[in-house]
Formats: sequence, C-alpha cells, structure tokens
Amino acid sequence: MRKSFAELNYYEMLDIRPGAAAFEIRQAYGAALQIYQPGSLVSHSFFTDAERQEILSLIEKAYQTLIQDQTRKAYDDELVRRGELDAVGETGPAARRPVGIFSISRGRGRQPAGPNQESLKTRIRQSERIRELTGRPALSGADLRQIREELDVTLEEISQATKIRQDHLINIEEDRLARLPAAIFLKGFVKSYLKYLCLEPVEELSARYMETVARLARSERAEEPR
Amino acid sequence: MAHIWPIGGGKGGSGKSFITSSLGRLSAGLGRRTLVIDLDLGAANLHTLVGVPYPSKSFSDFLQKKVGRLDDTVVETPFENLFLISGAQDPFDIANLPYEQKIKTLRAIMKLDYDCILLDLGAGTSFNTIDFFLISQNGIFITTPEPTSIENVYRLIRSVYFRRIRYCFSVSQFKALEEEAIEQFGEGAFNKPERMMKVIERDHPEPYRELLNDFNTFRFRLVINQLHKRDNAALGAHVCRIIEKHMGLGIEFTGNVSYDDHVHDAICQQVSFLDRYPYTKTAGELRAVGRQIFQPACRQLMLQYV
Repeated sequence: MRKSFAELNYYEMLDIRPGAAAFEIRQAYGAALQIYQPGSLVSHSFFTDAERQEILSLIEKAYQTLIQDQTRKAYDDELVRRGELDAVGETGPAARRPVGIFSISRGRGRQPAGPNQESLKTRIRQSERIRELTGRPALSGADLRQIREELDVTLEEISQATKIRQDHLINIEEDRLARLPAAIFLKGFVKSYLKYLCLEPVEELSARYMETVARLARSERAEEPR
Repeated sequence: MAHIWPIGGGKGGSGKSFITSSLGRLSAGLGRRTLVIDLDLGAANLHTLVGVPYPSKSFSDFLQKKVGRLDDTVVETPFENLFLISGAQDPFDIANLPYEQKIKTLRAIMKLDYDCILLDLGAGTSFNTIDFFLISQNGIFITTPEPTSIENVYRLIRSVYFRRIRYCFSVSQFKALEEEAIEQFGEGAFNKPERMMKVIERDHPEPYRELLNDFNTFRFRLVINQLHKRDNAALGAHVCRIIEKHMGLGIEFTGNVSYDDHVHDAICQQVSFLDRYPYTKTAGELRAVGRQIFQPACRQLMLQYV
C-alpha cells in the first residue's frame, strides 16, 4: 500500500510538481475541490463524512501554505530537511508579476523615461541660466525652449518619449496662443515636458507657465478691440 | 494464451453487454479470433447483441456435462472471427453457481484457444462476478456518470480488492484481520480494503509482499458510458485519480462513450450498432476505446490462484 492521504506532502496532495507556479497551484486546488467537496459525483460514496472533512481541511491547509511565498518557502525548507525534496534550484525562475499597462515598453530596448536622467539633473544643477529662468515669477514657452536648448535635448526626443505631437510642442515653445490646445491638455503636456527634462518642482513650474500664458492671452484680448 | 478481458460495472443497465459486444466486433475486425462469453448468469442476453437470437448451444451444456469441453459450447456469429458462448438456455438456478463449478469454468476458460476473450459479467458484487473478474488483471469497469452507478463501481472495485486479499488468508485469519482493522481504525474500517492492507503490512509481511506485487500488475481500465452532453467529460480521469490515490490500485481511464438514442434503435432492430450507425459520435468513441484496449503492446499474466 502506498502512503495514505494524510501522509502525502502538500504537493502530492494537490498533484503538482514542487516548482509549480501560483496559477498552477490555484488550478490544482480548484480541481481537488471539484473531486472532494460534498456532493461531488467523483467521490460519491467513496468517503464517509468525517473522512471527507479531514481531506478537505488538509487540502485547504496545503493550498494556504503553498499559495503564500513565505509559508511555502518555510514548507519547502522543511521538506528538504526531511529529504523529500531536492535542495534549492528546484523552484525554477522567479514568478513573473503582472505588469502595469503604462510601463510596457513597446519599442526594442528603448527606456521609458529620459535616457540620461542623472546627467540632466546634474546639468540643471550646474547651469546658471536655467536657475535664472526658473527663478523668475513668469515662465513662458520661449523660456522653456531656452531651458531645453541649454540642456541639449531635441524636440523630437521629447515628442517620442511623451507621445505629444511635435506641432503642439512647437506651438508651446513659440507661444502661439491661438493654436494652443485646451487648457486642461496644455497643462498635461507641459507637465510631461517638464518631467522629461527633469525640471523640478513640476507642479509649481507648470502652474507658473499656465499663469503666464493666461496673462499673455488676457493682454492680447485687451489689445484686440482697439 | 488468449487475452482475457473481464468486463464488469456493478450497476445494471450501464451498458456492459453492449460494450462487450462492440469490443468483440472491433477485436474481430482486427482479424483476431475473438470469443465473447456471457457470464451474466441468469440474466444473459449477449446473444441478441451479437446477432444470434436463438443460439443452439449454451454455457449450461458444459456444466451439465452434455458436452465434454467448454470449446464445444461455442457458437458462430454472423460476424467473421467472432464467436459466442451464450447463456440463453441456462436453467433457472444457474445464477447460484456452486464453487467447484465456478473453478471448473475458470480453468476451462483459461484453456480456450482464442486470440481474445471478452467476459460479459453480471451486475452486483456476488462472488461469482468477482472471481470471474479476477481471472485476469486486465479488467474493464463500465460506469455511467450517475451517482448510483459510480457508487456501485466503487463498491465493485473494493470487492475485487477484498476478494484478492481474502485469497491469501484462511477464514479465521481473515476474521482476525477484520477485528484488528476495526480496533485500529474504528468502526467501518473493515469496509476499506486499503485499511486492511495497512494491518496486513504490519502483521503478515509475507502475504503483504505477494499482494502488493499482484496489485502492481493489475491494469484495470475504466470506461464512462452514456455520457450526456452536459456531463463532465473529466469525470473518468478524476475517478481514476481518486482510486489510485486512496486505494493504491492502478487504474487507467480509457475513454468516454457518449449517450446516443441510436444505440437503443440498433438494439431494438437487433442489428450491430457499429454497422448500422458507423458515423455517429458514439461509434467513433467506441472505436477509440477499442483501439486503446487492443493496442498490441499489452501483455498479460494470469493470476496463480486458480
């Protein structure tokens, strides 16, 4: 006679291999429930109620142990100690976690954010001109262009990374007020622009830019009726 | 020596005779000399399924010594290579086969010279059925996907298991074993052959090893018959898994055979279903099951106790 059910290790109970991934464990648990739960056709009349309860509680325990990484690790260690499992290396590559939909990089080998964030930051810290421009109470599109040129970043680069159309960026930098997108979009665009250039604080600078643009627009309108 | 396939299933109406006749046809179709024996004593009707409604000879001729050898009770069927020992004209008390007659029959079956012998066994778990089942370790269990039938097939498997254990011990020894099992595992434990084996392992290592060897050579098969559209097709695999895990018996799931009203029609018309409706899903599944069972690599060892 082989081992009775209670003597099996958790992997044998669920019929999975020791390196099984989480989804395999979940599937095996579902299958085991289908077999052993009360009213199941498969185990009809096979067990008494007490036996069935015992088996179900064992399966529940096996599942709870294996599905959590920490308890599973501890259990694996115990199995290794008992000699039922070969030591490390058995577990295979680390499980892949779900990926956020915005962090998928579609291109090959392209970095999602600015390619040289660190060097940008040091350059921002060193540059007198940028400090002067960001220190002023107003921040226009022309200022933004000066900062960008100072940092040696091309417009194409920004457009590619932020997915903002290049003509929008040009309109922003040239302060063509009539052609700017709606304020809500404009603010987002500028924020992305600033983020790409690693200029901080993004919130404050973008707010300052929006104010500047609003002021420009007001003065333009004041000139018009004349 | 012939390959012997006992076909049983516990519950009546699960399609044992139908599957036996179909498998017989398939085996004969492979060019093997095939014999189907109706051992559903007292409720025989395999002859109708293989196209011999009024057989001239029957199994009881052998028991009543009208003929000398079991071979002489064989009748031909309309199908090439397919032969039948029917139970059509058996006397009414044939269901209660005495022990010595049973042993005589078992020995005679093993001496028959055919390529393949299929035994159609009766419902229930009487000693006759089980002993005929244990003639070879290639038994086929038939069940339908209903709780009643599943329950009976488990019962039959346990009975077969028990019977095999029982062969190894005398009556008093067996009684002692039962008491021991109850003492160890509580009330109802004597119903579980797997518990019994635990006791045997501890107290009688010698027969234990013999039994274990025997159980390891068993290659039982399971066929789910009359699977309806909405039934779980994975049932058979699960049943085999539970038997292997909890009883330690090797059993292999061979396939599903779908429910089909055409089977009923064919039986009513008394024609072979496989000939009359060869392109139905059920016929295809029967052929698949046949292929699985009659694959050439199977080898067979006879049990030594007869």
